[in-house]
Amino acid sequence: MQASLTDAALWHRIHFGFTITYHYLFPQLTMGLAWFLVYWKWRALRTGAEKYNRAARFWARIFGLNFAVGVVTGIPMEFQFGTNWAGFSKYSGAVIGQTLAMEGMFAFFLESAFIGAFIWGEKRLGPKGHFLAAVGVATGSWLSGLFILVTNAFMQHPVGYAVAADGTLALSNVGAFLLNPWALVQFAHNQCAALVTGAFVITAMGAFYTLRGVHSEQARVYLNTGTLVGLVASLLVAFPTGDSQAKMVGRYQPVTLASMEGLFHGTRLADVSVIGQPNVSQQRLENPISLPGALSFLAYGTFKSYVRGLDEFSKNDWPDNIELIYYAFHIMITLGTIFILIMAWANWKRWRGRLESSAGLLWILMLAFPFPYIANSLGWMTTELGRQPWLVYGLFRTASGYSQVVSAGDTIFTLIGFVGLYFVLGLLFLYLTGREINKGPDAPYPLAKRQEVAV
Amino acid sequence: MITLWYAILAFMLTTYIVLDGRNFGVGILHWIVARNQNERRQVIAAIGPLWSWHEVWLVATGGVMLMAFPRLMSASFSGCYLALFLILWCVLLRGISIEVGGHLSDPLWQEFWDAVFVFSNLLLAVLFGAALGNIARGVPLTSQGTFYLPFFTNFGIRGSVGLLDWYTVPVALFCVLILTAHGANYLAMKTEGAVHERSVRLARRLWLATIPAFVIITVLTWFVRPQLLQGMAVRPVSWLTLVVSAVSIYALVSGLRHERERLALLGSSFLLFGLLMTGAAALFPVVLYSTTDNSLQLTAADCAAPAFSLAIAIAWWIPALILAFAYLYIIQRHYGGKASVSKDSQELY
Repeated sequence: MQASLTDAALWHRIHFGFTITYHYLFPQLTMGLAWFLVYWKWRALRTGAEKYNRAARFWARIFGLNFAVGVVTGIPMEFQFGTNWAGFSKYSGAVIGQTLAMEGMFAFFLESAFIGAFIWGEKRLGPKGHFLAAVGVATGSWLSGLFILVTNAFMQHPVGYAVAADGTLALSNVGAFLLNPWALVQFAHNQCAALVTGAFVITAMGAFYTLRGVHSEQARVYLNTGTLVGLVASLLVAFPTGDSQAKMVGRYQPVTLASMEGLFHGTRLADVSVIGQPNVSQQRLENPISLPGALSFLAYGTFKSYVRGLDEFSKNDWPDNIELIYYAFHIMITLGTIFILIMAWANWKRWRGRLESSAGLLWILMLAFPFPYIANSLGWMTTELGRQPWLVYGLFRTASGYSQVVSAGDTIFTLIGFVGLYFVLGLLFLYLTGREINKGPDAPYPLAKRQEVAV
Repeated sequence: MITLWYAILAFMLTTYIVLDGRNFGVGILHWIVARNQNERRQVIAAIGPLWSWHEVWLVATGGVMLMAFPRLMSASFSGCYLALFLILWCVLLRGISIEVGGHLSDPLWQEFWDAVFVFSNLLLAVLFGAALGNIARGVPLTSQGTFYLPFFTNFGIRGSVGLLDWYTVPVALFCVLILTAHGANYLAMKTEGAVHERSVRLARRLWLATIPAFVIITVLTWFVRPQLLQGMAVRPVSWLTLVVSAVSIYALVSGLRHERERLALLGSSFLLFGLLMTGAAALFPVVLYSTTDNSLQLTAADCAAPAFSLAIAIAWWIPALILAFAYLYIIQRHYGGKASVSKDSQELY
């Protein structure tokens, strides 16, 4: 294997991997937050309680910052299909272009029309109009997720296609393509995971204000809604969505499942290792602590089911970084389990009416919010590394997909550009978000005075 | 079907340039028409809540290009690799400057983001202008149907050309000029007070300046790509778009003369639309013209997706377009009239 500064295929992969991972830090929160905003606007309409409007306004500001960064980091993603993955675009554009174009036409027009009105336009739209704008933004952001996941599902488990005379892909069955079983399961799993991120961030904010002893009415709203949604979403991420996702991998990508679990040799009663390190050169798992038979049961429904090991597949078809897949998958699972435990504990305390006085738990809730981001990123790493060495599973190899005319040097150059820009963007985002958090949901709006003087 | 998708792609790209082009123009004029911080906030507020809706036209155009003409997307985007990333970075910076400029009332902060706003918009107008110039002039296609453009070579228009040459640079400058004039029309309609007065005056001067510039560009284009005029002569659609352009000129002139700002903006929008669509109709069926060997050029049919994909896509594209304009209509109902800093500030509810 070649690994150097001139290996263009590698750098194109890192280019896409870096820009997409960074990008997805923002949409996962906006997709998670969007329905909280809709819920609060709806509660405000129904009950007339000002605290829900206030919560929606505060979170709309956080949402707006996330949305802006999500948009500007998202635009380069689509164009990279042409710039960095010309081979792939040419090969499968007729199929995956459908959903990418649908995303622009159905989701982005909707989202972008209402986002400005939602964030700036409460006065202009009135309460009902403002509620509907929130619904528009939330629907748009989830539609966008759906189209992207249908696109990704095609790359994981291609259906509804035909091979055209020139060897490229054509669409043959649009229903099968859009209703790809992989897409439905992955969408459910991914959107629940986005809700987990949203719930943890909202809960953390509630915990922060409570521990500081400020904005107590608002903090209670955040803790109540956040912990409830957090528990439900964390449970749904694991079962049934995560479970179905794993079964799907076992069925259509058995070599990926073997990599995820570090299963080098096929067996009945296959174990799930709780702790362990894959040693690829020796083809064994170091220091394993295992649950016997669990993998057979989880993947295929009975303890006696046979799970195929890596040794049953040609090394040519092995994912090219088994260790990374293994770690990514296992840490994701561990974090997901911890999320359920934390949220169950928080809900129990809340039910007993003691959440706001449990300082230790509030500290945990406040510090827990980065971990759903980590879990989401690791889940996507498992998915995308697990798909290797294929770009379109079983049909088209990653090595044939990158732009032949673009050198490794040009790719590294633009990658460095993105790293620099995104670093500054990240600082800017954290600074402005920190300001909003510091100002808090109850603060008078400081520019108001200046504006009155000015106008 | 291929012809229809070519028309749709041209329509979408043109719509993007007409809509976002006026934001480029506003950005270029920002320092000229707005002299103090309050006036500058007014200009940013005038861009309004829909600038990201305008930007979506670019993203949607990219998606449609990938779907309908995968080979065109793969050849042209990888061939203009560095220039495309320059565009993407400018789009990124422009978006950020609009979003965060108003977040702090600190004057230095706002001046800094104003500067980012001005230069990213200026560079975007230049880059899109140069891109249009490159489409007209052609690219150095190889026998694999790919190319890789450097920024410039010997500034010639044949053989191994670069992104910039003696033809594409004037086209880029012309693009800056006409989009600035277009932006001035928009500001005249959307603002009040001193910004309004300056925009009205500038719009008249800028549109006067476009007349000789347009003549020069036409002559240059005639010389660089004579096939364009032949294409125009044989393709009746381009007569229609020329009529649209002519009517738009009339609307533009009468709008400017009688201070009917909405009419002037409509005129300049449809003028740009008519000119770009005329160009697209005249270029058809060639999508990538070769500067090295005529036999290497790529036509729409060479690049198109299979017929079934294209037919399916029509079925969802039309309703999607209707929905997109329905959203626009809903939002416009709430945002008619002059921009207002007090009503449209993020800090006020």
